[in-house]
Amino acid sequence: MKNDKLKDKYTDKELADSFVFRSKLTAAQKEETKAQLNAKRKELRQDVTAKDLLLSRLLQLKYQIEDYLTNADYDSARSFGFFLRGYLRSLEKKNKEFANDIDINETELSQILNHHRSPSEKVIIRLELHSNKIIPAIMWHRLVEKEKEHEIMSNSELRTREKSHVRNAVVL
Amino acid sequence: MYVIEGASNLNHPVKVKRLDDDDYKEISKTRFYFNWKTERLNNVYKLILEDEILGVMSFIHHKDEERIEIVLLAVSKENRGRNKKYDRVAGNLIASACKEALKYHGINGCVSLVPKTSLKKHYAALYSMVDAGRQMVLEGGPLLNILKEYEP
Repeated sequence: MKNDKLKDKYTDKELADSFVFRSKLTAAQKEETKAQLNAKRKELRQDVTAKDLLLSRLLQLKYQIEDYLTNADYDSARSFGFFLRGYLRSLEKKNKEFANDIDINETELSQILNHHRSPSEKVIIRLELHSNKIIPAIMWHRLVEKEKEHEIMSNSELRTREKSHVRNAVVL
Repeated sequence: MYVIEGASNLNHPVKVKRLDDDDYKEISKTRFYFNWKTERLNNVYKLILEDEILGVMSFIHHKDEERIEIVLLAVSKENRGRNKKYDRVAGNLIASACKEALKYHGINGCVSLVPKTSLKKHYAALYSMVDAGRQMVLEGGPLLNILKEYEP
Protein backbone atom coordinates (compact mmCIF):
# COMPACT_ATOMS: atom_id res chain seq x y z
CA MET A 1 0.00 0.00 0.00
CA LYS A 2 2.70 2.40 1.12
CA ASN A 3 5.05 1.38 -1.71
CA ASP A 4 2.21 1.82 -4.21
CA LYS A 5 2.13 5.52 -3.37
CA LEU A 6 5.82 5.73 -4.23
CA LYS A 7 5.15 3.88 -7.48
CA ASP A 8 2.61 6.55 -8.43
CA LYS A 9 5.13 9.27 -7.80
CA TYR A 10 8.37 7.80 -9.16
CA THR A 11 9.44 5.59 -12.05
CA ASP A 12 11.20 2.29 -11.25
CA LYS A 13 14.51 3.84 -12.26
CA GLU A 14 13.95 6.76 -9.88
CA LEU A 15 13.05 4.30 -7.11
CA ALA A 16 16.29 2.36 -7.64
CA ASP A 17 18.12 5.69 -7.59
CA SER A 18 16.62 6.53 -4.19
CA PHE A 19 15.84 3.38 -2.22
CA VAL A 20 16.77 -0.08 -1.10
CA PHE A 21 13.63 -1.58 0.44
CA ARG A 22 13.58 -4.04 3.29
CA SER A 23 13.19 -7.64 2.12
CA LYS A 24 10.95 -10.17 3.81
CA LEU A 25 12.28 -13.60 2.93
CA THR A 26 11.19 -16.86 4.53
CA ALA A 27 13.84 -19.13 6.06
CA ALA A 28 13.67 -21.41 2.99
CA GLN A 29 14.03 -18.44 0.62
CA LYS A 30 17.01 -17.21 2.62
CA GLU A 31 18.76 -20.55 2.19
CA GLU A 32 18.04 -20.60 -1.53
CA THR A 33 19.24 -17.00 -1.84
CA LYS A 34 22.47 -17.81 -0.05
CA ALA A 35 23.22 -20.70 -2.42
CA GLN A 36 22.50 -18.50 -5.47
CA LEU A 37 24.73 -15.77 -4.11
CA ASN A 38 27.61 -18.13 -3.40
CA ALA A 39 27.45 -19.55 -6.91
CA LYS A 40 27.53 -16.05 -8.45
CA ARG A 41 30.40 -14.96 -6.21
CA LYS A 42 32.39 -17.99 -7.30
CA GLU A 43 31.88 -16.92 -10.93
CA LEU A 44 32.87 -13.33 -10.18
CA ARG A 45 36.07 -14.48 -8.47
CA GLN A 46 37.07 -16.39 -11.58
CA ASP A 47 36.80 -13.17 -13.59
CA VAL A 48 39.21 -11.25 -11.34
CA THR A 49 42.24 -10.10 -13.33
CA ALA A 50 45.78 -9.51 -12.04
CA LYS A 51 45.12 -5.76 -12.44
CA ASP A 52 41.94 -6.00 -10.31
CA LEU A 53 43.87 -7.84 -7.63
CA LEU A 54 46.66 -5.27 -7.56
CA LEU A 55 44.21 -2.34 -7.47
CA SER A 56 42.20 -3.98 -4.69
CA ARG A 57 45.35 -4.48 -2.58
CA LEU A 58 46.43 -0.86 -3.02
CA LEU A 59 42.97 0.52 -2.29
CA GLN A 60 42.65 -1.73 0.77
CA LEU A 61 45.93 -0.34 2.09
CA LYS A 62 44.88 3.24 1.28
CA TYR A 63 41.56 2.82 3.14
CA GLN A 64 43.35 1.30 6.13
CA ILE A 65 45.78 4.24 6.27
CA GLU A 66 42.84 6.65 5.91
CA ASP A 67 41.05 4.92 8.77
CA TYR A 68 44.08 5.12 11.04
CA LEU A 69 44.62 8.81 10.22
CA THR A 70 40.96 9.63 10.93
CA ASN A 71 41.15 7.90 14.30
CA ALA A 72 42.50 10.24 16.98
CA ASP A 73 44.28 7.41 18.84
CA TYR A 74 47.97 6.76 18.29
CA ASP A 75 49.04 3.15 17.79
CA SER A 76 52.79 2.52 17.95
CA ALA A 77 52.38 -0.65 15.88
CA ARG A 78 50.90 1.30 12.97
CA SER A 79 53.98 3.23 12.06
CA PHE A 80 54.99 4.59 8.68
CA GLY A 81 57.18 1.50 8.30
CA PHE A 82 54.24 -0.80 9.07
CA PHE A 83 52.17 0.63 6.23
CA LEU A 84 55.16 0.82 3.88
CA ARG A 85 55.80 -2.85 4.54
CA GLY A 86 52.12 -3.41 3.62
CA TYR A 87 52.75 -1.55 0.37
CA LEU A 88 55.70 -3.79 -0.49
CA ARG A 89 53.64 -6.86 0.38
CA SER A 90 50.79 -5.66 -1.87
CA LEU A 91 53.21 -5.41 -4.76
CA GLU A 92 55.05 -8.60 -3.80
CA LYS A 93 58.35 -6.70 -3.91
CA LYS A 94 61.54 -7.51 -2.05
CA ASN A 95 63.33 -4.67 -0.24
CA LYS A 96 66.21 -4.58 -2.71
CA GLU A 97 63.93 -4.44 -5.74
CA PHE A 98 61.76 -1.71 -4.24
CA ALA A 99 64.72 0.38 -3.08
CA ASN A 100 65.90 0.24 -6.67
CA ASP A 101 62.41 1.23 -7.94
CA ILE A 102 62.43 4.46 -5.92
CA ASP A 103 66.16 5.03 -6.29
CA ILE A 104 67.21 4.86 -2.65
CA ASN A 105 69.82 2.81 -0.86
CA GLU A 106 68.57 -0.54 0.48
CA THR A 107 69.94 0.40 3.92
CA GLU A 108 67.88 3.61 3.94
CA LEU A 109 64.75 1.63 3.05
CA SER A 110 65.47 -0.88 5.78
CA GLN A 111 65.95 1.91 8.34
CA ILE A 112 62.62 3.48 7.33
CA LEU A 113 60.84 0.13 7.48
CA ASN A 114 62.25 -0.56 10.94
CA HIS A 115 61.44 2.87 12.36
CA HIS A 116 65.12 3.88 12.69
CA ARG A 117 64.85 6.74 10.25
CA SER A 118 62.17 9.18 9.11
CA PRO A 119 61.40 9.23 5.38
CA SER A 120 62.49 12.36 3.54
CA GLU A 121 60.07 14.43 1.46
CA LYS A 122 61.71 12.99 -1.65
CA VAL A 123 60.88 9.45 -0.54
CA ILE A 124 57.29 10.43 0.20
CA ILE A 125 56.84 11.96 -3.24
CA ARG A 126 58.46 8.95 -4.90
CA LEU A 127 56.01 6.68 -3.05
CA GLU A 128 53.07 8.62 -4.50
CA LEU A 129 54.53 8.39 -8.00
CA HIS A 130 55.31 4.69 -7.57
CA SER A 131 51.69 3.93 -6.61
CA ASN A 132 50.43 5.80 -9.68
CA LYS A 133 48.93 8.35 -7.23
CA ILE A 134 46.62 5.72 -5.71
CA ILE A 135 48.20 6.43 -2.31
CA PRO A 136 48.88 10.18 -2.29
CA ALA A 137 52.02 11.70 -0.75
CA ILE A 138 49.92 13.64 1.76
CA MET A 139 48.76 10.36 3.35
CA TRP A 140 52.34 9.14 3.84
CA HIS A 141 53.24 12.59 5.18
CA ARG A 142 50.37 12.53 7.69
CA LEU A 143 51.59 9.18 9.01
CA VAL A 144 54.98 10.78 9.75
CA GLU A 145 53.22 13.78 11.31
CA LYS A 146 51.08 11.55 13.53
CA GLU A 147 54.21 9.85 14.86
CA LYS A 148 55.95 13.17 15.47
CA GLU A 149 52.89 14.61 17.18
CA HIS A 150 52.77 11.66 19.55
CA GLU A 151 56.50 11.88 20.24
CA ILE A 152 56.33 15.61 21.05
CA MET A 153 53.33 15.14 23.31
CA SER A 154 54.67 12.17 25.24
CA ASN A 155 58.46 12.64 25.42
CA SER A 156 59.00 13.54 29.10
CA GLU A 157 62.68 12.57 28.95
CA LEU A 158 63.32 15.27 26.35
CA ARG A 159 61.45 17.81 28.47
CA THR A 160 63.63 17.05 31.47
CA ARG A 161 66.78 17.27 29.38
CA GLU A 162 65.83 20.55 27.71
CA LYS A 163 64.77 22.23 30.93
CA SER A 164 68.39 23.16 31.68
CA HIS A 165 68.51 25.21 28.45
CA VAL A 166 65.58 27.43 29.36
CA ARG A 167 65.96 30.60 31.49
CA ASN A 168 63.46 33.22 32.58
CA ALA A 169 60.43 31.04 31.85
CA VAL A 170 57.09 32.80 32.05
CA VAL A 171 55.70 32.71 35.58
CA LEU A 172 51.96 33.14 36.05
CA MET B 1 33.19 11.85 -3.11
CA TYR B 2 30.78 14.41 -4.49
CA VAL B 3 27.18 15.08 -5.49
CA ILE B 4 26.07 17.11 -8.50
CA GLU B 5 23.64 19.98 -7.99
CA GLY B 6 21.02 19.74 -10.75
CA ALA B 7 20.31 23.48 -11.07
CA SER B 8 23.94 24.62 -11.41
CA ASN B 9 25.61 21.36 -12.52
CA LEU B 10 28.24 22.06 -9.83
CA ASN B 11 30.01 19.32 -7.85
CA HIS B 12 29.83 19.51 -4.05
CA PRO B 13 32.07 17.40 -1.78
CA VAL B 14 30.22 15.06 0.57
CA LYS B 15 31.17 12.73 3.40
CA VAL B 16 29.80 9.46 4.73
CA LYS B 17 29.65 9.22 8.51
CA ARG B 18 28.16 6.93 11.09
CA LEU B 19 24.75 8.14 12.27
CA ASP B 20 24.77 9.77 15.72
CA ASP B 21 21.98 9.22 18.24
CA ASP B 22 20.92 12.86 17.78
CA ASP B 23 20.47 12.32 14.03
CA TYR B 24 17.47 10.05 14.56
CA LYS B 25 15.38 13.13 15.37
CA GLU B 26 16.31 14.59 12.00
CA ILE B 27 15.69 11.57 9.82
CA SER B 28 11.90 11.59 9.96
CA LYS B 29 9.68 9.25 7.96
CA THR B 30 8.48 12.25 5.96
CA ARG B 31 11.97 12.97 4.61
CA PHE B 32 13.58 9.52 4.74
CA TYR B 33 10.52 7.31 4.22
CA PHE B 34 11.34 4.51 6.68
CA ASN B 35 11.31 4.29 10.45
CA TRP B 36 15.08 4.33 10.98
CA LYS B 37 14.89 3.72 14.71
CA THR B 38 14.42 0.00 13.95
CA GLU B 39 17.94 0.01 12.45
CA ARG B 40 19.81 1.06 15.59
CA LEU B 41 21.41 -2.38 15.96
CA ASN B 42 22.80 -2.32 12.40
CA ASN B 43 25.51 -0.08 10.98
CA VAL B 44 23.66 3.10 9.97
CA TYR B 45 25.50 5.70 7.91
CA LYS B 46 24.53 9.12 6.55
CA LEU B 47 25.74 11.01 3.50
CA ILE B 48 26.25 14.66 4.42
CA LEU B 49 26.85 17.86 2.53
CA GLU B 50 28.30 20.14 5.21
CA ASP B 51 25.71 19.42 7.95
CA GLU B 52 22.76 18.47 5.77
CA ILE B 53 21.83 14.78 5.60
CA LEU B 54 21.12 13.81 1.98
CA GLY B 55 20.75 10.06 2.41
CA VAL B 56 20.82 7.24 4.96
CA MET B 57 21.86 3.58 4.65
CA SER B 58 21.71 0.64 7.03
CA PHE B 59 23.84 -2.45 6.51
CA ILE B 60 24.85 -5.69 8.21
CA HIS B 61 28.47 -6.82 7.99
CA HIS B 62 28.56 -10.61 7.65
CA LYS B 63 32.27 -10.93 8.44
CA ASP B 64 32.27 -14.73 8.14
CA GLU B 65 30.98 -14.39 4.56
CA GLU B 66 33.19 -11.38 3.72
CA ARG B 67 29.95 -9.63 2.77
CA ILE B 68 28.12 -6.41 3.52
CA GLU B 69 24.36 -6.61 3.10
CA ILE B 70 22.59 -3.32 2.46
CA VAL B 71 19.34 -3.66 4.37
CA LEU B 72 17.77 -0.27 3.85
CA LEU B 73 18.63 2.90 1.98
CA ALA B 74 16.72 6.12 1.44
CA VAL B 75 17.58 9.39 -0.23
CA SER B 76 15.94 12.47 1.31
CA LYS B 77 12.63 13.52 -0.23
CA GLU B 78 14.02 16.59 -1.99
CA ASN B 79 16.71 14.52 -3.73
CA ARG B 80 14.41 11.97 -5.38
CA GLY B 81 12.78 11.87 -8.78
CA ARG B 82 13.10 14.16 -11.77
CA ASN B 83 13.20 17.36 -9.70
CA LYS B 84 15.88 16.21 -7.25
CA LYS B 85 18.28 18.84 -5.97
CA TYR B 86 21.43 16.66 -5.88
CA ASP B 87 22.35 13.64 -7.96
CA ARG B 88 24.60 10.64 -6.95
CA VAL B 89 23.33 10.38 -3.35
CA ALA B 90 22.44 6.65 -3.40
CA GLY B 91 25.52 5.83 -5.51
CA ASN B 92 27.82 7.44 -2.97
CA LEU B 93 26.23 5.46 -0.15
CA ILE B 94 26.53 2.17 -2.07
CA ALA B 95 30.17 3.03 -2.90
CA SER B 96 30.88 3.61 0.80
CA ALA B 97 29.59 0.09 1.54
CA CYS B 98 31.94 -1.18 -1.20
CA LYS B 99 34.82 0.72 0.41
CA GLU B 100 34.10 -0.93 3.74
CA ALA B 101 33.93 -4.40 2.14
CA LEU B 102 37.25 -3.86 0.34
CA LYS B 103 38.92 -2.41 3.43
CA TYR B 104 38.11 -5.50 5.50
CA HIS B 105 38.20 -8.28 2.94
CA GLY B 106 40.25 -7.10 -0.03
CA ILE B 107 39.30 -8.51 -3.42
CA ASN B 108 36.95 -11.08 -1.79
CA GLY B 109 34.83 -8.32 -0.22
CA CYS B 110 31.26 -8.25 -1.44
CA VAL B 111 28.21 -5.98 -1.21
CA SER B 112 24.73 -7.38 -1.70
CA LEU B 113 21.10 -6.34 -1.46
CA VAL B 114 17.73 -8.01 -2.02
CA PRO B 115 15.91 -5.85 -4.57
CA LYS B 116 12.26 -5.59 -5.49
CA THR B 117 12.00 -7.61 -8.73
CA SER B 118 10.89 -4.59 -10.77
CA LEU B 119 14.01 -2.63 -9.70
CA LYS B 120 16.63 -5.29 -10.49
CA LYS B 121 17.49 -4.10 -13.98
CA HIS B 122 17.83 -0.54 -12.71
CA TYR B 123 20.30 -1.47 -9.94
CA ALA B 124 22.27 -3.26 -12.67
CA ALA B 125 22.22 -0.23 -14.97
CA LEU B 126 22.82 2.41 -12.29
CA TYR B 127 25.42 0.66 -10.12
CA SER B 128 26.69 -2.22 -12.29
CA MET B 129 25.21 -4.70 -9.80
CA VAL B 130 25.26 -8.30 -10.95
CA ASP B 131 22.17 -10.52 -10.84
CA ALA B 132 22.65 -13.33 -8.30
CA GLY B 133 19.13 -14.75 -8.31
CA ARG B 134 17.14 -13.06 -5.58
CA GLN B 135 20.04 -10.77 -4.73
CA MET B 136 22.09 -8.21 -6.59
CA VAL B 137 25.81 -8.25 -5.87
CA LEU B 138 29.00 -6.25 -6.28
CA GLU B 139 32.32 -8.07 -6.01
CA GLY B 140 35.67 -8.10 -7.83
CA GLY B 141 35.77 -6.00 -11.01
CA PRO B 142 32.22 -4.53 -10.72
CA LEU B 143 32.91 -3.46 -7.12
CA LEU B 144 36.19 -1.80 -8.14
CA ASN B 145 34.39 0.01 -10.97
CA ILE B 146 31.92 1.58 -8.54
CA LEU B 147 34.82 2.74 -6.35
CA LYS B 148 36.58 4.24 -9.38
CA GLU B 149 33.43 6.17 -10.22
CA TYR B 150 32.48 7.38 -6.76
CA GLU B 151 35.76 7.29 -4.79
CA PRO B 152 38.29 8.53 -7.33
